[in-house]
Amino acid sequence: MRQLKIGTSSVRGVVGESLTPELLVDFASAFGAYCDGGTVVIGRDTRRSSAMLRAAALSSLLAAGCHVLDLGVAPTPLVSFAVRALGAAGGLSITGSHNDARWNAFKFLGPDGALLNAVNTEELLDIYHARDFIRVPWDGLRGWEPAPDDLLPRYLARLLAALDVAAIRARRFRVAVDFCNGAGLPVVARLLEELGCALIPLNEEPDGVFAHAPAPTAANMRQLAALMKHLTVDLGAAINIDGDRIGFVTADGEPLTEEHTLPLVAAHVLSRQPGPVVTNLSTSRMVEAAADAAGQPVIRTMIGEGHVMGRALAERAALAGEGSGGVALLPAAATFDAFLTLGLVLEAMAASDESLAALAGRLPRSAMRKGTVACPPNLVYHVLEGFHEHYQRARLDLTEGVRAAWHNGWIHVRASNTEPLVRIVAEADTEERAEEMFENAMTFANQAAFVTAGR
Amino acid sequence: MRKPLSLKIGISGVRGIVGDSLTPRLVASFAGAFGTYAGAGPILVGTDSRPSREMVKQAVIAGLLGAGCTPVDVGIVPVPALQLHVREAHAFGGICVTASHNPIQWNALKFFGPDGIILRPNQAAELVDLYHQGVYTRALADDIGTVRRDDTTLRRHREAILRAVDVAAIRRRKFRVAVDCCNGAASLATPAFLRALGCDVMEYYTNPDEPFPRDPEPTPEHIVELCRVVKLADAEIGFAQDADADRLAIVDETGAPLGEECTLALAVRHVLRRTPGPVVVNVSTSRMIDDVAAACACPVVRTRVGEVNVVEGMARHQAAIGGEGNGGVIVPAINPCRDSFVGMALILEALALDGGSISAMRARIPTYALVKAKLDCPARDIAPALRALQDRYAAETVDLTDGLKILWPDRWLQARGSNTEPIIRVTAEAPAEAAARALVAEAVGVLEGLVRA
Repeated sequence: MRQLKIGTSSVRGVVGESLTPELLVDFASAFGAYCDGGTVVIGRDTRRSSAMLRAAALSSLLAAGCHVLDLGVAPTPLVSFAVRALGAAGGLSITGSHNDARWNAFKFLGPDGALLNAVNTEELLDIYHARDFIRVPWDGLRGWEPAPDDLLPRYLARLLAALDVAAIRARRFRVAVDFCNGAGLPVVARLLEELGCALIPLNEEPDGVFAHAPAPTAANMRQLAALMKHLTVDLGAAINIDGDRIGFVTADGEPLTEEHTLPLVAAHVLSRQPGPVVTNLSTSRMVEAAADAAGQPVIRTMIGEGHVMGRALAERAALAGEGSGGVALLPAAATFDAFLTLGLVLEAMAASDESLAALAGRLPRSAMRKGTVACPPNLVYHVLEGFHEHYQRARLDLTEGVRAAWHNGWIHVRASNTEPLVRIVAEADTEERAEEMFENAMTFANQAAFVTAGR
Repeated sequence: MRKPLSLKIGISGVRGIVGDSLTPRLVASFAGAFGTYAGAGPILVGTDSRPSREMVKQAVIAGLLGAGCTPVDVGIVPVPALQLHVREAHAFGGICVTASHNPIQWNALKFFGPDGIILRPNQAAELVDLYHQGVYTRALADDIGTVRRDDTTLRRHREAILRAVDVAAIRRRKFRVAVDCCNGAASLATPAFLRALGCDVMEYYTNPDEPFPRDPEPTPEHIVELCRVVKLADAEIGFAQDADADRLAIVDETGAPLGEECTLALAVRHVLRRTPGPVVVNVSTSRMIDDVAAACACPVVRTRVGEVNVVEGMARHQAAIGGEGNGGVIVPAINPCRDSFVGMALILEALALDGGSISAMRARIPTYALVKAKLDCPARDIAPALRALQDRYAAETVDLTDGLKILWPDRWLQARGSNTEPIIRVTAEAPAEAAARALVAEAVGVLEGLVRA
């Protein structure tokens, strides 16, 4: 696996391998130039290596003439809120997010509080590659200071304004939350208090020593699920390190996959806040069912929050999200926001007076299969062309790779952005159909890669 | 002609202009090289008061963390205090963010070993090699350290010096002292230090968040304001420090600047009268030292210019005192580096034991006129020019310790290439100013002819 990933809106790497102080100061210098020496809000997650990224960011942003406001340890949605609340030129969230502890990253936010979209990222990379940095003289340096104390309460007020607080308070929910030793506790503790809920925290020490892999997948929620079997709680939730992704566990201790998060919110919220839903090509079609019920369209984009949110803002969408558990209710949030999502799921339970299991049961049945096929980068194009032909009789979407849909399922084949392989995702209403589609695609991909390689 | 270089990477550290050559990238990379050199342990990081201090310090912290070190942020501190702290705390090394006496657009990194002494030339050369090779220790996520803060530097330094002088005698005199810290690294330290010595302190320019009010070099033409206030406020003595507080200049009770060269001469006289022994100074230091030492029948050893050369010479000759004529007093038993606080303590102790005024004490040392000039000369042409100048003085006594020095019984002339700029510095000292001027004019005339030719 490549150890440096320069993707839309972020630069990620393995600390000490690809992520060196030199690379970090250069990227932060490029971002300082991108922000044209304006005010930049920074926040960081709980990883120990985040202190190194912070120092590199501070030095470079100061050298570019930026005024820096430091939130300290703060989740990405709070950085996003602070950028908008303070009218800053940009934000820098220092977090390896859902990646394991070896990794860390800069996530770049624009003045709208959203991660940089594809076009803006390209501009940032052009500055980086040309080393077209701003260097102000000594009397142009503007310094840094801690961000104002009132940002967290103001952010909470923003979350509460988007929720039916009275309805949730009336239910006095008990909620178990697995923080994976990330940055989420201060926000969740105050949010649940305001919502009249009791918090049962798990892995809440913000020491950056992760109890398990941070992505809120069903597999990573096993500890939370096991704990919940011994407790009387209404809802379990796992939040990743910087608070952009969330997964849920039912009161009985059954973890839902992270694909459920977006459709759960969509099924609840679109009736009171109509508008399009934007998601990526590989996300479960459960969201279509929820949107159809509310008469709203679903727009699919390339993979990645930068693509999804960029399109959602352009479309004035009501809701955006990905199958990874990241959801944003617009316009309250400009990034995926696990805290707002937690509130919305509680609101859904309160409004319907139903358990999470019952709400999830109302979503259409979904069976998904995901896999990869090794493929040299120079052959990927031919393999995808082959799929294009192979799926001639399906409904095709060529936004990124090939997505073929039938009435009872779909399959998405695309090149990995980061590794020499082809990713295949299939979804159907039964396990058998999903397996059949998936196996067919895997066989075809292997043959295509083999035949192409042999040419 | 090429634009003058604004970056200097050499044995005295890394120096550059903020917004030009001194970039976060350069600083982080050099800090990574130093972290690799020093090893994965605590490294003290201090700064002077320049507005660029935070930008440079954060890049240093990033570089050190990346190399697996534990940066210990000690804040705004005098360089000698940082050096003492490195040694006392058994740190793996220290980095000071300071451009010393250079104007405010400059900043620099100075590197110190675990003994608190600035890297010796061979050590500095290894560091520069590491930088150029670019193969650093890279800590993986689990081995990244945490940034620590430590605010004990000033207290440790103050207490170490107070242990070494007759505090009771100094306190009895209740000296009325005016001090000009140039809003530099000593701003937070000097007033408390002098008050601990029982002084009535009138402090000027002790706000490190304000810009330098004057050129940081404490030469007479830069400290006229202090001279005026000493006189107006009836102070018994005035002290002026440079931006990183290694150099000290003295103003007497009449408001007359004694000149930086006098600081070391007075301190040496005080120490030798009690504990005779060898004195080590650099070749450019005033011959006042020779007179002072001769009066105590003590030998003078001269080294190349540069603090580390003097410190090494002092160790070799087991000297109790030495230093550099530009106001840098070194007492290895207290702190083996130029330390303006050691200078202040010794001068006050001398006054307390002597009972008289600073001007009376100054009058006991002969007066010389020191005249300096410099002329531009490409680095590659410096050595040939100096050899040609040596031929001109073939009949005289010549000392080639550092550049070219011509000695007569009561005067001397020196020409040497600068360590930091493409210039030749010409200095002469003689009993009268006219004679010193004549020596400089003659040498400059010869050199100009050679450089232009």
